Amino acid sequence: MQFALPPRRSPHTLPGAHSSRLPLYRRKQLKTIAIIAFAVITLLYLLSRLFSSSSTSLSAPAGTAGVVIVTLLDRQSLSESYINKIVTNREDYAKRHGYTNFFASVSDYDEAIGDAPRSWALIPAMRHAMATHPNSKYFFHLSPHALIMNPTTSLKYHLLDRSRLESLMLKNVPIVPPDSIIKTFALKQKDVDLILTQDSEDLTPSSFILKNGDFARFFLDLWFEPLFRSYKFAKAETHGLDHIMQWHPTVLARTALVPQRILNAYSKDSPGASQDGSYKDGDFVIRFPSCDEGKTRDCDELDPYYSMWLKKAKST
Amino acid sequence: MSLSRSPSPHPGGGWSSPGLTPGSGASTPRGYSPATLAPNGISWAAAKAKSDEVRKYPSFSTRNSGFFSRQKRKISARLPNFRGQASRQGYVDKDVYGRGQLHASGPGGSIVQLYRRSPLGGGPKFVIILGSNVEGGVMEWKGAREWAIERNSIWNKQQYVKRWGYQLEVANMLAKKRYSHEWRESWEKGDVIREVMRKYPNAEWFWWLDLNTWIMEYGTSLQSHLFNDLDSHVYRDINEYNPLNITHPLPEFFLDDLGRALEGDGNPESLSLLLSQDCSGFNLGSFFLRRSIWTERLIDAWWDPVMYEQMHMQWEHKEQDALEYIYQSQAWVRSGVGFLPQRKINAFPPGACGDGNDPAVHYKEEDHDFVVNMAGCNFGRDCWAEIYNYRAISNEHNRSRWKWISDRLGSAREWAFGKED
Repeated sequence: MQFALPPRRSPHTLPGAHSSRLPLYRRKQLKTIAIIAFAVITLLYLLSRLFSSSSTSLSAPAGTAGVVIVTLLDRQSLSESYINKIVTNREDYAKRHGYTNFFASVSDYDEAIGDAPRSWALIPAMRHAMATHPNSKYFFHLSPHALIMNPTTSLKYHLLDRSRLESLMLKNVPIVPPDSIIKTFALKQKDVDLILTQDSEDLTPSSFILKNGDFARFFLDLWFEPLFRSYKFAKAETHGLDHIMQWHPTVLARTALVPQRILNAYSKDSPGASQDGSYKDGDFVIRFPSCDEGKTRDCDELDPYYSMWLKKAKST
Repeated sequence: MSLSRSPSPHPGGGWSSPGLTPGSGASTPRGYSPATLAPNGISWAAAKAKSDEVRKYPSFSTRNSGFFSRQKRKISARLPNFRGQASRQGYVDKDVYGRGQLHASGPGGSIVQLYRRSPLGGGPKFVIILGSNVEGGVMEWKGAREWAIERNSIWNKQQYVKRWGYQLEVANMLAKKRYSHEWRESWEKGDVIREVMRKYPNAEWFWWLDLNTWIMEYGTSLQSHLFNDLDSHVYRDINEYNPLNITHPLPEFFLDDLGRALEGDGNPESLSLLLSQDCSGFNLGSFFLRRSIWTERLIDAWWDPVMYEQMHMQWEHKEQDALEYIYQSQAWVRSGVGFLPQRKINAFPPGACGDGNDPAVHYKEEDHDFVVNMAGCNFGRDCWAEIYNYRAISNEHNRSRWKWISDRLGSAREWAFGKED
């Protein structure tokens, strides 16, 4: 290398003090120190960032895989043969997809519910299912007055998959139809912990999917709050659900609403189905809302659909 | 009474409450019903508008506010606080004992303070929220003593915060006087904390202090006092001290292991609320909340119109009672709560808790307890006298080395030559 001028001597070098090797040596030393200092500062900075962010991170959901289907059976009011039909229907479906069934009995939760209507039992039943299967990721509550009509539908591809869920999700829709001022958020799939449908009047707790984890515990405990049970909502836990969705944004912010027929198609001529909420051939689930009222001991309306399902289950 | 619906939110806030407003029992979330009149004639909307004038708090949003507004907030948060300056320099009054004599940091302190204020020093992780009533209430006239209490209490926290590089937010609780019966009258702690959390996005722990508190030991940092070794100071099993006789752990068979655990998950990282209990239960005069999703949920669940409607006559201590209640009724709450022995953050003056002189509750000078809370002093006790007294003790404990030596010399001279008067 050619320099136009000779390299300038460091002004600090004393004349006659040894040789010109010293400033070079010093410069190297300084460089090393600077690099080390820089590295240390970077490291400290990164560490401080790491620690400050770790405190705000979410704890991961307990489960990693698997779906549990939760069905709450009232063995006092439903006949043996009806219960058998429902159990057969659920077991067939679970076997095809490797899911797990959790059949709960309403009377187990009588003490917890107290004076409130027995339909509140679905909440402790969900909590119970989560306690029994802590490693499962999703819990699918399905009313005992509903049938899985399309046994080949896998929940993953039908609903839980990222792109599928994000395209199904109803955004900016009034939570309580038709014109509640509180509306659903547009969420990413990873932020969704609860998947729900609504009919023409309310959010419906008869068929929903809840992801295991801290949110699920919080949501179920809040929903089961004794003061909500004692408030005498006309539709008990259904109105309780409407209520917490409208008043508690931390719940709403983890909730996705999907079209009714995805999880909760109503049988023909049922009052209360949302627009395009009535069952059509090929839908995943059919529900018989009039059977919830418990006027007949068994849900007669279900029988023709049950034979349809039997045929379909045998042929596939 | 069977209610067709829960009270439903209205556009622009508020709700019509079936229990409290005649003729609104059938109201649904559907229709817009303009400003419902409460029985006492104050409409919700009017009360809300008034309190908005004083202190706006944004409603919940899932998105971050815009870049500009965030920067603006940061800038304004750093602007010098003229009020604080004025009260420190301009104001002189006779009651102020030892003001300006407190050289807590000593020479060279500024470099140390600079370090503590930086992210490396850990100072910005802590924000003290002081519940105050700066401009005075609407309902009650503020006398000289109230002003003095407020000035001194703020000064006390400023001294402490300056020394350790923490941040101080004096929350104006003025609005509560204007809240109508149906609104969250004195339920604001949650709202204020949420707001402060938004204002200090990098802070982790938020320490709520009531106005009638005094930080006694400036030399004690929060890190060394609590947070470096949280696990050893906190007890999660409420049976250790359980004045309310809360059943713990919960017996319900349908809960999971965490819901029925005696000690939560045992990991100090999951602690989000640290509080102490006095002789009658939870005390929210001095408590810590950590920024976490658990905390967001707690603040959200803390107040609910259906719960409030049924309980507001019984919940005399408002959010304190409500917290006690949801701690008992909702299993998820317990996993985030840790209790501290009362004198760790919230010592009471003698007589504040029953007639007894329970050593676990009351301040002990020789033990250099960290904080005194003059709890309930406005019910038949003299707040200002108590604060004055503890301020004197605190100044004594915190005087600089030079002051200590000169005091010693002074007393030695007195001893040697007798008093000069």
